[in-house]
Amino acid sequence: MIGEISHFLAFSSSIVFMACFVLAFFSYSSNTSSISIFVPKIFVLGSLILITSFLLFVYLAIIDDFTMAYIASHSNSNLPIFYKVSSIWSAHEGSLFLWVLIISLWGLFFLIFRNHSTTTFYPQTIGIISLVVACFLLFLLFISSPFERILPFGVPDGADINPILQDPALAIHPPMLYFGYIGFVIPFAFVTAFLLSGRFEQFPIAEIKSFILSTWIFLTIGIALGSWWAYYELGWGGYWFWDPVENVALMPWLAGTALLHTVYVSSRSKNLIAWTIFLSIIAFTLSLFGAFIVRSGIIDSVHSFANDPTRGLYLLGMSAFLVSAPIMLFVKNLSKIFAVNRVKDFSKEFFIGTNNVFFITAVFIIFLGISYPLILEAFSDSRVSVGSPFYNKVFAPLTFITSLFLVFSTYSKWSREIPLIEILKSSASIFALTILSSIVIIYFVNNYEWWLIGGIFFGNLIILRYIALIIDSVISKKYFNQGSALAHIGFALLIVSISLNAALSNERTFSMSVGDEVKFNENTIEFDNISLQKNSNFESLSADFIFSNGEDTFELYPEKRKYFVRGEITTESDISIKPIKDVYITIGEQQSNGKWIVNVQENYFVRLIWISAIIMSLGAVLVIRRKIYV
Amino acid sequence: MKKDRKKRLFGVLLIIGSSCLGIGLILYALNSNLDYFLTPSELKQSDENVVLSSNTRVKLGGMVKKDSFFINENKVNFEVTDFEDSISVIYEGLLPDLFKEGKGIVVLGKYNDGIFYADEVFAKHDENYMPPNLELD
Amino acid sequence: MFESTLRTLIVIIFLSSVILFTSLIKNNNNSQSKVDLNIPLPEFSLQTLDSDKKIKNENLEDLFILNVWASWCITCRVEHPFLEDISKTIPIIGLNYKDEKNNATEWLSKLGDPYIFSLYDYYGELALDLGVTGAPETFLVHKGRIISHHIGEVDQKVWSAKFLPTINKINND
Repeated sequence: MIGEISHFLAFSSSIVFMACFVLAFFSYSSNTSSISIFVPKIFVLGSLILITSFLLFVYLAIIDDFTMAYIASHSNSNLPIFYKVSSIWSAHEGSLFLWVLIISLWGLFFLIFRNHSTTTFYPQTIGIISLVVACFLLFLLFISSPFERILPFGVPDGADINPILQDPALAIHPPMLYFGYIGFVIPFAFVTAFLLSGRFEQFPIAEIKSFILSTWIFLTIGIALGSWWAYYELGWGGYWFWDPVENVALMPWLAGTALLHTVYVSSRSKNLIAWTIFLSIIAFTLSLFGAFIVRSGIIDSVHSFANDPTRGLYLLGMSAFLVSAPIMLFVKNLSKIFAVNRVKDFSKEFFIGTNNVFFITAVFIIFLGISYPLILEAFSDSRVSVGSPFYNKVFAPLTFITSLFLVFSTYSKWSREIPLIEILKSSASIFALTILSSIVIIYFVNNYEWWLIGGIFFGNLIILRYIALIIDSVISKKYFNQGSALAHIGFALLIVSISLNAALSNERTFSMSVGDEVKFNENTIEFDNISLQKNSNFESLSADFIFSNGEDTFELYPEKRKYFVRGEITTESDISIKPIKDVYITIGEQQSNGKWIVNVQENYFVRLIWISAIIMSLGAVLVIRRKIYV
Repeated sequence: MKKDRKKRLFGVLLIIGSSCLGIGLILYALNSNLDYFLTPSELKQSDENVVLSSNTRVKLGGMVKKDSFFINENKVNFEVTDFEDSISVIYEGLLPDLFKEGKGIVVLGKYNDGIFYADEVFAKHDENYMPPNLELD
Repeated sequence: MFESTLRTLIVIIFLSSVILFTSLIKNNNNSQSKVDLNIPLPEFSLQTLDSDKKIKNENLEDLFILNVWASWCITCRVEHPFLEDISKTIPIIGLNYKDEKNNATEWLSKLGDPYIFSLYDYYGELALDLGVTGAPETFLVHKGRIISHHIGEVDQKVWSAKFLPTINKINND
């Protein structure tokens, strides 16, 4: 019964959202504020209905209502409540439900936190958000409904969610990521409302900048969580695989990062408005594209949901429909939008604009990497895939040049041309310092690959430049944007940690039986014992390895697990976390001679990669908190 | 004024030039870093025609040949076959949970002098890699 | 000049992406089953759910349906009544996939057993050789060769489109 109520409420909310959209666009033509007053109220009504519907669904998952087909397939009565709830977004239908809910939540946030004194297009913005919610709701209700029942009786215990997905980081990773993806609906809707209004003299984008920043924070943390999970759970010891599904999350992140910077410019000096509009549309388009790639099943991946062409077609059609109007309006009014201020050469705007080109190039590269194998496979016989070497080779130089322009921009002035020579002169001392410190670091790392030299150099350059700025502002007591400094230092740390990780990390595979001792770098590893242990939903072969070097001794317990319900076998790594490096161990199969294959890795600075992401997000938090954005 | 126009023209040319160069480099990188998916017999053929340089990464797909699996000095050795040809593979690392003789397999690595040096091994239908279709349609 | 070039570029990229991905979905749709047809059923030797005797290829009928199922698979439950229906017209052999014996037997006694017998494939060995990606999947086997394959639930629609024509043709020959 509750299931039917939840279904009915979801259905009703779709009607309310459609009504909200229609009404919002009446308010355009009639231009009467009497109608537009109702728009947000109707939106709130629709959202409340939808939230209730979702909460009822959560309730059904908690009480183990296994007559609901979706819950029966993805939850189990033995799971803790936390995983019962997270099982809702462990597969296509339920995660789509969460997705829809989050769109409407962003709409609510917009209504609550918008700048009440100035917002210009807010009824129309809300109208467009309603349209997006309604489109996804129709998809949810008619193509991938989580509300189906299996009657007359359900399954006694339910199924089991995939064991590798039973993990706290992974349980909160999708909601985080969805908040990040979907937050771009606000700039998208806002910009669309702006384009529809036809009044291009005023571009009040400053009103939504804090929404863009918070979206970006969610996305950054969401991606970092996913990477952390992959590192410890998949047993490969990598943190980023350039997997197509990781890539589709990175694309909106790159576009969003570019958007963050142009919004800064556009709200300050009325420059780069075309960029801001374009990026607002693109960031959301890429989020939709991500949903399409993951849910249409055209790519096999760790993350992809099952394959169903109707879903893909609907999603593609819907995305094209939602995005085409703003793109056409943008293209049609290009000359009017361009008519505003011209950017002065080598001004701050100039450098930010140039870096936008690099961000878009990065997006394009990923897009190429995803679609090229698909095209080749569809239209010729050869089957190829684009792996990490391509991305690494192309992204490294792109990151370096972006970093260089970032540092130049810190020497430039708003709306004023400074000759490049001047910039070079004033940055000379920082460059000299960077060269010195980089030489020292590279000497100690003792690896002379071009990407390592570049990574260390440009990472150092940014860090030193911002340290100089901080010192400068402390001495002169001048105004200083701490949030931006922190975020950029985080970015530099990310470059440095990725480079050092790639240069220093190493691994060895041993074949050992109990009692064996091997040497790996400074550690002596002893295989102490291996035993079979029974747990509530799996049995595991748990090994015990003793690591000792001159200074300390520690034990690690990698496992091989077999889950009862589906018989899946998983490899559980064990990790010793030290400040500069992780020791990461996994065990493999037992061979016919009784020995076990053991893989040991030393992963340097891998923690710093995620810490950098957190620092970047903290920087963004500081920028939001400052309210005045300039 | 004239100087200004000259500068503008120079800027435009610079942009066009560098973007052509950029796109060219990207496409070159893409083309030289594709992982080709081949079967053992296709790989042997392409080796005779010297289509692949020794640096090209290849995904080799086939079956693990029966009785070909052994371990030598921490390195896993086995043969991948498509029943026409077979290729010896050497790999250092952990095998996936579903690795077994006589089963489907994909290895990613480089082919050199008749031996395939694998960097990664994926079992076909490895459920960690491709989750089963459990959806209600 | 600059603006019109940009304009055309954006429109072209947008439209071509839409067309490209539409065609990719269609393409993908055609290749949904990754199992080669008209190949021999892989060699196997498995116990059944209700006896320890091993069943091998030569023990099988001339024409039958092989249905991959498991008690943890919800779609199998949805598919089950339909299998009961068609079991009156064609022999169905079950392939119990990665399942606990008790759960599987209980499932059959509760819901009814449309299968002549169910092979018990705890480790998914035969399923792996068959190229099974999950449950349910259904194969049509004639004289030891796989001639049709479907991933996911078989209902009346799938049955009349994918299996019935072939079965009728074989029966008429």
